[in-house]
Amino acid sequence: MFQNPTQLAQLVFLLPLASAAVIALTLRRQGNIAALVSTFTAALIAAGGLYLAFSGARFTASTEWLSLGSFTLSLGLKFDDLSALMLSIVGVIGLCVHVFSLGYMHDDDAKARYFGGLSLFMFAMLGIVFADNLFMMFIFWELVGLGSYVLINHYHFKASAADAAKKAFIVNRVGDFGYLCGILLCYHFYGTVNLTELANHSASGAMPVHNLIPLLLFCGAVGKSAQVPLHVWLPDAMEGPTPVSALIHAATMVAAGIFMLCRIEPLFAIAPQALTIVMWIGAATALYAALCAVTQRDIKKVLAYSTLSQLGYMVAAFGLGSLKVAHGEAGAPEVLLTAGVGAAMFHLTTHAFFKALMFLGSGSVIHGCHHEQDVFKMGGLSKKMPLTFATFTLGVLAIIGFPGLAGFFSKDAILYLAMEKNTAVFALLCLTAVLTAFYMVRMWKLVFLGAPRSEDAAHAHEGGISMTLPLVVLAVLSVIGGYEAIYGGHFNGVLSQIAHPHGSAHTIILGVSLAVMAIGAGTAYVYYQTAAEDTLATKASGVFALLVALQKSFDAAYDYYVAKVQQRFALVLNYIDLIGISGVVVRGSAGVAGLLGLAARALHTGSLHAYVYWFLGGSVLLWFLATR
Amino acid sequence: MPDLLLLSIAAPLAAALLLLVPAPLAARKFIAGIGFALPALIALYLWSQFPPNGGASYHFVSRYDTGLKDTLGITLYLGLNGIALPLFVLAGVVGLAAGLFAIQSKAERLPLYLGLLLVMQAGLMGVFASMDVFFFYFFHELALIPTFIMVGVWGGRDRGYAAMKLTIYLTLGAMLSLIGLIAIYQQSGAETFDLLSLRQEIEHGSLAASDQKTIFGLLMVGFGILVSLFPFHTWAPLGYGAAPSSAAMLHAGVLKKFGLYGLIQIALPLLPEGVGHWVGWLALLAVGGNVLYIGFVTIAQRDLKQMIGYSSVMHMGYAFLGIAAYNTTGLGGVVLMMVAHGLSVALLFLLSTSIYHRTQTFDMEEMGGLAQKAPVLAAFFVTAIMASIGLPGLANFWGELAIFVGAWKFSAVYTTLAVSGVIISAVYGLRSVARIFFGPVTPAFAKVSTEKAPTDLAWGEKFPALLLLAALLAIGFWPKSLSTPVDTAITATFRK
Repeated sequence: MFQNPTQLAQLVFLLPLASAAVIALTLRRQGNIAALVSTFTAALIAAGGLYLAFSGARFTASTEWLSLGSFTLSLGLKFDDLSALMLSIVGVIGLCVHVFSLGYMHDDDAKARYFGGLSLFMFAMLGIVFADNLFMMFIFWELVGLGSYVLINHYHFKASAADAAKKAFIVNRVGDFGYLCGILLCYHFYGTVNLTELANHSASGAMPVHNLIPLLLFCGAVGKSAQVPLHVWLPDAMEGPTPVSALIHAATMVAAGIFMLCRIEPLFAIAPQALTIVMWIGAATALYAALCAVTQRDIKKVLAYSTLSQLGYMVAAFGLGSLKVAHGEAGAPEVLLTAGVGAAMFHLTTHAFFKALMFLGSGSVIHGCHHEQDVFKMGGLSKKMPLTFATFTLGVLAIIGFPGLAGFFSKDAILYLAMEKNTAVFALLCLTAVLTAFYMVRMWKLVFLGAPRSEDAAHAHEGGISMTLPLVVLAVLSVIGGYEAIYGGHFNGVLSQIAHPHGSAHTIILGVSLAVMAIGAGTAYVYYQTAAEDTLATKASGVFALLVALQKSFDAAYDYYVAKVQQRFALVLNYIDLIGISGVVVRGSAGVAGLLGLAARALHTGSLHAYVYWFLGGSVLLWFLATR
Repeated sequence: MPDLLLLSIAAPLAAALLLLVPAPLAARKFIAGIGFALPALIALYLWSQFPPNGGASYHFVSRYDTGLKDTLGITLYLGLNGIALPLFVLAGVVGLAAGLFAIQSKAERLPLYLGLLLVMQAGLMGVFASMDVFFFYFFHELALIPTFIMVGVWGGRDRGYAAMKLTIYLTLGAMLSLIGLIAIYQQSGAETFDLLSLRQEIEHGSLAASDQKTIFGLLMVGFGILVSLFPFHTWAPLGYGAAPSSAAMLHAGVLKKFGLYGLIQIALPLLPEGVGHWVGWLALLAVGGNVLYIGFVTIAQRDLKQMIGYSSVMHMGYAFLGIAAYNTTGLGGVVLMMVAHGLSVALLFLLSTSIYHRTQTFDMEEMGGLAQKAPVLAAFFVTAIMASIGLPGLANFWGELAIFVGAWKFSAVYTTLAVSGVIISAVYGLRSVARIFFGPVTPAFAKVSTEKAPTDLAWGEKFPALLLLAALLAIGFWPKSLSTPVDTAITATFRK
């Protein structure tokens, strides 16, 4: 059907744009048709994307898009194993979320806007996946931000949703400021922003080191992947509909930061100091967000902080960098693996499965409980919603690293790398893993076990097939996603870079991994009561208050800045502009202006006819003089 | 075909004269509509006929003697090169949108209002079609004078003061530029205002470097005032705050670009040795003043039109930075930005009037929740704001990006500071959107809507808005449509 895979890729890329355009232009009042158009598009993306990824087609293509003087900007496709893996994830999760949305958003008044937004987002996300240069990536980087803005703002009549959307966009722009500066610096310092050229240039060993370039580019990831200190927008972004949280704010867009880091790994490879900073930011985010998750009451906020923490895990993994390993038997030559990329992308993949699963599961719970989101008003849902319970439980087991499930393998890959490279980070990540198991089991127990603690929970019900089917698919993927065999060797460019522990290291990692999971999960299971109050808040209010204060500290600081510094500064400058510049400077030095003013006032007699006559008379006079 | 340029100027003038003839209002509206549509159609047609890589030279050239040829060497010399073409098209498109918006408005003494707009439109087409510096200036004045009258008569709050301030500033700016232009004429000894001959003359070194320095400084300030270069910007927010919407659309969207156009098409090529002396000052005023200082001032605005006015002043800072960069990429970016900004600011002024009709106020603190009553208006306004804050997919992004790329070579520090403006513009842009449209309905707006239930955009408002929106999206997705002629023209004119 297609002469070459490039054309298929272009079609897959442009389909969601067409869908968004059709919905915006013609289907504004036909929400149901819009939903079908968008979902059908998502199905085609998934089918086309998986075909491209698993048929082994790998290619690059590029078109010049803007040329001004010495500056040329191209749009191109770079389809290697890394983008193939990302495309598969976006395709599969995108389809699951679209199908789930058919049920979840069934009664929504603005369905067309919602599904149009999803299509717009899919287009932008595919642009990041395919981008072959940094300028192009920046373009779609901003556009996913627009998609995110529109969808967070879906319930725009709520002030909290409007504020959250605004905050997400502005905070991301702060990161993008650094990102764009990084791209400009890269363009001028290395003479290119093409990813393939940068990689070749770096591999040749002749590339001069510039620590600032990767660090500035990393700012973009700090914003998009919500790393400390720009993480504040992500918990608020939960104001959007829950399927959106699953797609954009858990599985794909927020993971784009990690994807982008992997894309520019060649720049980091020659700048180890920059890499160290990335590692620490990631580790700090992982631990900080895990601590925040412990005190949350809102089921989506628990998942949001969990996402932050897991993103921190991936960023830390990337920052740990490459590892020299001996392949096979002892004495074999050592190979340098870009183990950071391998581990980060592996965890990105499994996380996409189990976190999308849990977000959609939480959507199912929220839908079942008539939009109740407080876990302390739930309870006993295991009996009311058995399928959601079963799949959600698999998701929880996957994230806490239960042996044999997806998270177990990808988390171990990161822990092993940390153990080999940096003991302090290893300790931090182990502590984070304990906390992850702790807050996850806490939430799971409060939602599903015990007796229902509210009317809504007592009358909870399972959603329709469109909501349960995606849960099953994602649950299966959360179980098998950790076995590299299912990828059929098609992503070896990425997955073969994962460092696997052997011998005693293997034993240690396995032991540590099981221990942290057991400690965290066991403590939470025993400690938390299925009550209407937070056990930690009642039994250890000091610790609870400390954690809450920690969680609120960043927002408090930013709120102070916005209200007390930025706004006042703006008002003072406005005052200076009104009084100082337009009043004193201009009028003070306005001998000329004063005279002109008098002349003008004489002309401005206030009578309309006078103006017209002056004008016409002047024109005629001018012409007469000119042609004399 | 050459006479099409003349027709694009004459048609609106003729329509304006016809409006003086007593006739039913509907007939007059129809005549005015033709007067606005013809230049736009001609502009689009000439765009389609423009040779793809022929931006470097002038096309559709025609010359008419107005009687000044022998005495002063002045002729009405019309033509378009790759720099003039995009602005000529901009003038046509924005003129049509502003005209249609005015026709459906309920302005008092509508025929007179339309007539003045048509005269302004003729002037705008003339500015960008002129190859003779005298007529370039003459057409600017032709467009400027109706602006003053429209602000003074049809303006809103403070219209008297605003009209006076506008007149003083813009006349001063125009006078300084005129002195500069006459100085070029005098000092070069070229005895002509013809741009091409002037350029040839000066390439032979007929204008001393010290003269070039002085004249460029004069033009920079003169043109700068017209483009609201800091600290000569205070007329802009005040003037636009008071101006009737169509006049604000045409002035902020098109006429304001006259100064930038003059710098790029006349001052830079004719005074190459004077530029270097001033770029440091220009960048300082542009980035420190227009972008950062005015950026923060914009954040403080409560009045929607003032906010748009200040944001427009801020964005001019990027344009001046691109001029200070003085390389092909930066200057090309300025031309793209002039077009994009013209479209987006015109759209914002149009929509702000539509908002006013529904909320009865420009005070954003009193607004809230309008999206619930007018979702299409909300979608349009969000898109317009996104365009103005440089979101990819809309025209403004390309101009800003090219300016940043070009300016980085000139100064990484200034460019970094200018790039930080993307945060500032996101702050005021999204804050205004949220205040006007989102969140719950405010008590003040609830009161207004019980008196008169707000409706969504009517076709009379929607069509001109769609015209501008479509242009923003078309350039946003397909920048080459615009950039190719600009690129060839800039590369040929500035070989560096």
